Amino acid sequence: MTAVSIPAGKVKERISSIAPEPGNNAVARRKLPVGKAQGLVSLLVFVAAWWAVTAAKLVNPLYLPSPGAVWNAFVRANTCNPIAAGSTRIVCGVQQYFLWQHLLMSLERIGVGLALSIVVGVVLGFVLSGVRWLNRLIMPYINFVRALPPLGYIGLLIVWFGIGDTTKIWLLFLAAFPPIVLATIDGLKSVNRDRINSALSLGANRAQLVALVMFPSALPSVLNGIRLAVGFAWTTVVAAELNNGIPGIGALAYLSGTEMNTPLTIACILVIGVAALVLDGIIQLVIRVLTPWVGKE
Amino acid sequence: MSDSDNIASGSTTGDNTVGAANDVAVDIRHVVKRFHTDRGEDVTALNDINFAIRRHDFITVVGRSGCGKTTLLNMLAGFEKPTEGEILIGGEKIAGPSPKRGVVFQKPQLYPWLNVQRNVEFGMKVQGVDAASRARTAKEYLHIVGLSDAADRKPYELSGGMQQRAQIARVLAADPDLVLMDEPFGALDALTRENLQVELRRIWQEKRKTVFFITHSVDEAIFLGTRVIVLSSHPGTVLMDIPVDIPRDPERPEDIEAVRSTREYRELVTRVDAAIHQ
Repeated sequence: MTAVSIPAGKVKERISSIAPEPGNNAVARRKLPVGKAQGLVSLLVFVAAWWAVTAAKLVNPLYLPSPGAVWNAFVRANTCNPIAAGSTRIVCGVQQYFLWQHLLMSLERIGVGLALSIVVGVVLGFVLSGVRWLNRLIMPYINFVRALPPLGYIGLLIVWFGIGDTTKIWLLFLAAFPPIVLATIDGLKSVNRDRINSALSLGANRAQLVALVMFPSALPSVLNGIRLAVGFAWTTVVAAELNNGIPGIGALAYLSGTEMNTPLTIACILVIGVAALVLDGIIQLVIRVLTPWVGKE
Repeated sequence: MSDSDNIASGSTTGDNTVGAANDVAVDIRHVVKRFHTDRGEDVTALNDINFAIRRHDFITVVGRSGCGKTTLLNMLAGFEKPTEGEILIGGEKIAGPSPKRGVVFQKPQLYPWLNVQRNVEFGMKVQGVDAASRARTAKEYLHIVGLSDAADRKPYELSGGMQQRAQIARVLAADPDLVLMDEPFGALDALTRENLQVELRRIWQEKRKTVFFITHSVDEAIFLGTRVIVLSSHPGTVLMDIPVDIPRDPERPEDIEAVRSTREYRELVTRVDAAIHQ
């Protein structure tokens, strides 16, 4: 959990600023598949190397199972199978749930924790950047929470809220809301003075200034804060699910490891990683749709 | 501050206060502006500024950079307050920004999340004008500045000159009495700049606005203005306040070449240049 020290709102979007120009189209069309092909080749090489190492029996399969074993564990975790070869007892998924249900449950927790932290973070950011004495009063505590690794206070949360989902949501919320507060304050602080003055001299009152000019001006920074927060929430979810986390992909990754079920552990790790990448891709897409002007002014 | 105060104190405001109080749009009296620097020093940006702006004046202010031109404009707009003295509008002290005083910034302050049409409608929208009249007025001003075809585009899809036209349309559509312009054409290429100068002069005639225009170009100041004010630097004081009396062809008053070829124009350029460089 060292990722908490990344400054909020500094993530520059480079991809979205490439405007297609008529002359460059051919180049762009040729370049993109090359990049994709490179990624695919690197993935194939990686899997092949992995397979070769395990096929040559260089490593004990307990430490590194073959890609095939991981794939089988992944498939078994998503289907119903006999408990053993020839047995009539059928078991569905692992730990009473399919793997995709574990993933969905983790996503649900992240969704709730994140939704709360977005609402609280953005509102608090607006309040703290408007009311200076409150900022001086509250900001140190937010920075304190931000500096803590979530594993450090999960014990306290369990004492307070038990081992149920309330604790997990709290943990995700506490991990995700500080970067959103900071990004909101940062975004509001960096609104150009002339832009504010332009709205006032066009007749905007205080409320109109905040709603119609300040908010959209700060939106790119807020969205970048949310993007960072999603990353924090995702890295925190495994910690949040260490206790009583089934169903949950983080809990499954942890439990299968303690049960020496290495193929399933690796399958879970891959699912966690891929889900994180997909989530980030979706957020980047949302950012591009909501703030198309970023990088073009 | 009542009207009688305004008239009574007219004699104390110096030689530039001429005409009846009704004609005076803005009265700048003994204005001083000082700033505190980070090193704790006091810097006087403007010292004892006195002049009045009459209705339908086109005041152009020239001076070197750092002479406090923008500070003066910021005080007229209500963004800043004078350290000493006062600025009266209709006999009242300026309390803060107002849609009665529109500001055209050097860098166009268009909102990138709104298209050009909605940018131009912004002032009317926050002032509660209904959607139909908003759309009509915005169309009219977009037509005036030659941007009818760009109404649906986003500001960042426009060239610098087009962005500045859009900003001018937005300010005019909010219907201000006084238009404050801070080197609006400074960042544009020469050709675009001349086109916009001609258009601005035409719009000023047509809409009978009062304009306060800052520039560092003597040419621009004399071509556009009905009166040129020259500011000195460190501290900024009024060096020269001179009416522009150039014979203009009534058929084509905005013919730049014709204006520039007059003897009066050339003489004025020489005099203003001399004042700036003294």
